[in-house]
Amino acid sequence: MKQRITYIVSDPDTFRPELLDVKHASITLKKVQAAKERKVTIGLGELPEQLAKAFEQWHELHIRWASSKPYPSIPPFISRVTPGLHVFFTPHKAKPTNGQLCDLLHSTFGKELKCSSTSEAATKLPILSERFSMSASSQYYSYVPTLANLVNYVQEKVCGEKKRCKEEVGELLEADYLDVDYDAISHAVVLNAFWSTALDGDSWAETISVPGKGQSVEVGVLMHETRPDPEDIGFGGFLTVLGQDKAPKPTRFQTPTRHYPLSSTSTATSDAETSSLTYSTSFAPPTGLHPTLTLTFPTSPIPPNPTCKLHTHLTLPSYLILDKYQFTDSLFLASHNLKSLHSISGATDLEAPDWVVEQWGSAVLFELAVAEFVEGEDEGENEGKEWNATVPLHLRYLPAAESSHTSVPVPWPVVFWACRAEEGTKMSVNPFDRLHLGYEGLFGPKTRFMHVEPQGGQGKLVEWIDVPVLDLRKAKWVEVGTIGAVIVAFLGLVWVLFGGKSAAKKVESKGEGKKKQ
Amino acid sequence: MAISSFFNSPRTVFSAATLLRAGFLLYGLFQDAFSPMKYTDIDYFVFTDAAHFIAQGKSPYARDTYRYTPLLAWLMYPTTWPGFWFSFGKVLFAIGDIVTGWMMFRILRTHQNMSQERALKYASIWLLNPMVATISTRGSSEGLLGVFVTALLWAVLAERIPLAGFLLGFAVHFKIYPFIYAASIVWSLDDNRKNRVTSVSSSPITQAIKFLTPRRLVLAAYSLLAFSALNAVMYLAYEWPFLEHSYFYHLVRIDHRHNFSPYNILLYLNSSLRADSATHASSSMELERLAFVPQLLLSAVMIPLALAKKDLPSTMLAQTFAFVTFNKVCTSQYFLWYMMFLPYYLPDSTLLRSRRIGITSLVLWVLGQAAWLHQGFQLEFNGQSTFVPGLWGSSVLFFGINVGILSIIIRDIRSKESSKSYVKAGKST
Repeated sequence: MKQRITYIVSDPDTFRPELLDVKHASITLKKVQAAKERKVTIGLGELPEQLAKAFEQWHELHIRWASSKPYPSIPPFISRVTPGLHVFFTPHKAKPTNGQLCDLLHSTFGKELKCSSTSEAATKLPILSERFSMSASSQYYSYVPTLANLVNYVQEKVCGEKKRCKEEVGELLEADYLDVDYDAISHAVVLNAFWSTALDGDSWAETISVPGKGQSVEVGVLMHETRPDPEDIGFGGFLTVLGQDKAPKPTRFQTPTRHYPLSSTSTATSDAETSSLTYSTSFAPPTGLHPTLTLTFPTSPIPPNPTCKLHTHLTLPSYLILDKYQFTDSLFLASHNLKSLHSISGATDLEAPDWVVEQWGSAVLFELAVAEFVEGEDEGENEGKEWNATVPLHLRYLPAAESSHTSVPVPWPVVFWACRAEEGTKMSVNPFDRLHLGYEGLFGPKTRFMHVEPQGGQGKLVEWIDVPVLDLRKAKWVEVGTIGAVIVAFLGLVWVLFGGKSAAKKVESKGEGKKKQ
Repeated sequence: MAISSFFNSPRTVFSAATLLRAGFLLYGLFQDAFSPMKYTDIDYFVFTDAAHFIAQGKSPYARDTYRYTPLLAWLMYPTTWPGFWFSFGKVLFAIGDIVTGWMMFRILRTHQNMSQERALKYASIWLLNPMVATISTRGSSEGLLGVFVTALLWAVLAERIPLAGFLLGFAVHFKIYPFIYAASIVWSLDDNRKNRVTSVSSSPITQAIKFLTPRRLVLAAYSLLAFSALNAVMYLAYEWPFLEHSYFYHLVRIDHRHNFSPYNILLYLNSSLRADSATHASSSMELERLAFVPQLLLSAVMIPLALAKKDLPSTMLAQTFAFVTFNKVCTSQYFLWYMMFLPYYLPDSTLLRSRRIGITSLVLWVLGQAAWLHQGFQLEFNGQSTFVPGLWGSSVLFFGINVGILSIIIRDIRSKESSKSYVKAGKST
């Protein structure tokens, strides 16, 4: 087992090297205000056999879970996915793996996940860029608001009686996102969890030590540094390899990055105040059966540089559908402030009700129609004016229920600028590079993503929609009533067709009743 | 005066019908060009997309929700050419409307012995009907079916039996439901009335032999030949997807989305409950699966047997009306299917002779739809759960109204003298 723990100090002015204390094979942090990333690499051999076998089914497997609680991003942990559980995977060619994914997810993330069999629940991931061979082939998603199930599962099956393991796993309940990666080549499982703030909401005061023999732990406490190269991000701070270093070693480095902070001037400042652009998601009531998702930006978005195009990537659970044929008309697109529908994959059957759709749903990428990049112009004109882009959606019918409406979650989509990057291939040298988010494969390898932060404010990054359903409490008479009406109507018409003279008599007519059969 | 002189000349009526459609067509181009709300029907984009696939040498079924014969996509081929050609299909459907109207006019003149003015007035129910003109200029193919079905009726009345057989096979290939006309046409094709009177005492076998008249056999042969030949060609060209989308889809579709059919809420209810309790035994009797029984008994067996020999065009109206009313799915474009028979039935009908019954029926028919549409709007756009009792109640009410109107139509046809002079007059053309 290998661990790398990284703290990114939110405000360098609050940090002093004395806050770190290295003793023997441990390091103690004294009230460090920082975001934290914990990366744990576990060899398959170190896992319980049952779990190791489950992982071996895959050629590659990437789990991305994000909390629906809003959190501030901090470079290099800028990238975002829609809240909930994403799974990207490529099955092993040699081994048929039907059902394995669903079993694994049901036992780890919750029994209620809509997943009946891997081949039916998952959808093919579209890959526009063939050269981007890093992408997995299939995708699954479900809205999972908390990691409580996973934490229970790992505490029970992996930690066993180890108290420290249980505590550390318990911290995942507060994580803002969690990545789990496995691939057949490295034969290792990598867990990567991110906390934007300390668990107590203020600062980290903890001691980290090597858990056992043959295990390595590296702890970094880093701060942003001004960077010479505009496409890089730079860090300075201290690295400590536990058991090896007697004191924190000063360090300074810079790296190209795939995910880049939007605030172009800021180097080390922490929160969203400097990033000029945010967005929020809402549905204008009444949503009916055709809800319209509205992305609201406080000001009209201005491209950070001429190559940048604003995109939104939607992850729609199966009860929501998007009719791709609506988005071919330029007038229609323009009326919604959309530029084009770049990609849609997954369950796109426009006719099926939700209960016959086995797939998890669909993923959609739109380019938004922002004003053209004009240097130095227009900025004053649109300032202070809210800017909206809307995506008309449709609801599938949901099963009849003991209520008039069923409430369904719609997690917020992610919004980002996709810009041209000069040094695309070097991005993977970034020790904090994050891939398999569901949308990078839709762009070329030389793409830089500048993420727009969701403006969570008080709420959560998920909207709930009330879907009208057939109310079973009122439906007792539907079957009897319908069939009764049809039978009465049928018999009545048979009588009118073949019945006695009286039937025909009521109609005044010359040839009344003469020619009965 | 102005009105009567208007209906005096076919030229004025047909010019007006053409202008009406040209007006709608141009208006549609205007609306499509300047508004994000399109005049053009969604189905038209399905046809034209399918035509594009064909133009690329692909299958029309590459387009989602294309549930038609490949012939339709081939007919739309010119819409793949640039510019105004995109509207070719709408022009074709509009021309189809006019041709249908012309055949109606000829049938009314020749086979119902109407004066020119009267025939033009009744043909105008179709020709000058804004609903018909809108549907075809928006690009819905339902109007095109009017050409085939009306041509079929004309061919039968004009005793062009092989042609009638071919048209029947073709119409069924195009839209399935015209198969119900087979029974009424076959039954109406009597050689003469004496046969029928004497046949009462004879044995079933002789009856059967007498039933198999040459004309009936020719009709059956030509229709089967046309139907199977078309299907064979389409199957060879487009294989399984052709069968799947044009035919089998209609057997497995769930039709859960709200529509006028009285079965609709029951289908939604039972389909979703079954999915819920896929494992344990279903509590419902699944009687809705037998919905086709009353529908087909009425439209394809009983109505033809009871009425076809009296008045074929009106019988076809009653059949279509029964088929649509008892169908598991029903939307307003299905009303066009029976509207194309109204000009033959209405002239002698109770609905026109009794102002009270006629107006009451029309008002109820419109009110039934209005009530349903109101509930549908509340559901679709305001998100109110109006499935029960609102939508269900109004669909059953509308069903009842339709059954009432159907019973008036049936009584009217029953009370007619047996097969009037259509066929005799037909021979003279």
